[in-house]
Amino acid sequence: MKNKIFLIAFCLMGYFAFAQEADDIVGVWEPGHGKAKVKIDKIDDKYYGKIVWLKEAKDPETGEPKVDKNNPDESMQNVPLRGYRILKDFVYQGDGVWEEGTIYDPENGTTYSCVINMKDENAMEIRGYVGVKTFGRSDTWRRLTMKKK
Amino acid sequence: MKHNYHIPYLLALFFVSIFTTAAQEEEEEEDYSKYDNFELEDDTPVKRYAKPTISGMSPQKFIGISFDAQMPYRYEFSNVLFPESSGTGFDVDEEDPTINEKGTVKSTGGFRFNTNIPIISKSSFVWQSGINFMDTRYDVVEAPISPRTPILLPNGNEARSLGKILNEDGLRNLNWTNTFFFPLNETEFIVFQGQLDLSGNYALDSFQPLSTVKYSAAAVYGRRINDYYRWGIGVSRTYRVGNLNYVPVIMFDWTSKNRKWGTEILFPARAYLRYNISKNSLLLAGFDLEGQSYHIDEYSVNGNSYEIRRGEVRPKLEFQTKISGYIWASVQAGYRMDWSYDADELADSTDFFRGFFGNQEFGMINNLENPLFFNVGLNFVSP
Repeated sequence: MKNKIFLIAFCLMGYFAFAQEADDIVGVWEPGHGKAKVKIDKIDDKYYGKIVWLKEAKDPETGEPKVDKNNPDESMQNVPLRGYRILKDFVYQGDGVWEEGTIYDPENGTTYSCVINMKDENAMEIRGYVGVKTFGRSDTWRRLTMKKK
Repeated sequence: MKHNYHIPYLLALFFVSIFTTAAQEEEEEEDYSKYDNFELEDDTPVKRYAKPTISGMSPQKFIGISFDAQMPYRYEFSNVLFPESSGTGFDVDEEDPTINEKGTVKSTGGFRFNTNIPIISKSSFVWQSGINFMDTRYDVVEAPISPRTPILLPNGNEARSLGKILNEDGLRNLNWTNTFFFPLNETEFIVFQGQLDLSGNYALDSFQPLSTVKYSAAAVYGRRINDYYRWGIGVSRTYRVGNLNYVPVIMFDWTSKNRKWGTEILFPARAYLRYNISKNSLLLAGFDLEGQSYHIDEYSVNGNSYEIRRGEVRPKLEFQTKISGYIWASVQAGYRMDWSYDADELADSTDFFRGFFGNQEFGMINNLENPLFFNVGLNFVSP
């Protein structure tokens, strides 16, 4: 009986540790170019990231908040970029890797397959690619936290 | 009583709908201003890097296959002389060489296979590598086998005329290119490119000596001013005009704010004016400078390498359009303008630099008419 309890406890600990690791990605991150901040949340069992801040929030041509004007879907071209979900459907695979997701680049209106590797608790490598991972590009995103007052 | 079974269900639905509505409102009404106060958790200074491209440029080709075809043209080939083996050649200023062979090439062309695969692609460093193969077949009519005087090698043996060699063997180029992009900071970058070429009338099952491999290189320092403009200057060691040459390189890539117009210039290799018809198609007008030094095995004696210095300028119009996904088609049409088709005999297969002022004698002085050319291709591109 004790052995069974120990086994169940061990499995539960493993499960919670895995879940905790999976949530390491949750938070606010800054892409390498520093022009935006992206907040990653967990929704159901998947991870999503949306733009929450833009260095240049307004379109210099129109003076209005920037919209997703490069989206190939014309009905989306007036959607504001702030609040736009650019990371979708990531699933934790273990060992600090999130896969099966996509990343959207508003600069060219293209959605890429994407894999995320946690480098350390405050940095992750995010790679968008086409077809196979060879045809892609990596960027390092860094964790942001609220300024201490 | 029967209806009572529905009450928990309705209550659950009610709470779920309240929760969902609340969640939506929370998302819609999120106070984004609080993110102004977010800063890096790790305060190590962040180094930002220039991107390796600018907005609006034609898509980069990862893998491409194309067919290139030139319309008929006439050619004039001089005697075949051997400046190194026999001590006789054409003076560098020769303007009226003895014509030994005239003919018409009914068609010239073949398949081209190009790759440019990212090996490492990070913000701080990009390394791309590609194998390229270009097959040029000649269909020579009229007098490919009857030059005025037979082609005699220094050892007294008779050889095929150049027209006959081209007609029967064609020319091939196998190339390996490596490109390295080093961003120094958010604005400055350095591009280094190295190439190895094996060019000649070899067959795929019998390569020519590897001592005939040519290497080219280019280094460019550039500044990416903003998302719409970058420039660069550099130097290159190139065979694009056929002969070995050292030339300055100028990069000038620009896109208008409405992303309709632009330039893609890496002079002297290529220079285009670009018009983006839509996100999925564009038009380029400009020129390419193509060339290599082709080893002719039959004329290469005494350990020397006899090489056709093929260089051509190709003013052209090019239309590129998306077929589906990341597959794009390209269609080119323009003139193939002969820059050089002369020949040199390289002592011990070692190349030399003639430049504008060298006086090394030529082995052949040849002329080609300038025909129209067409090129159609399919490419797997980077978005």
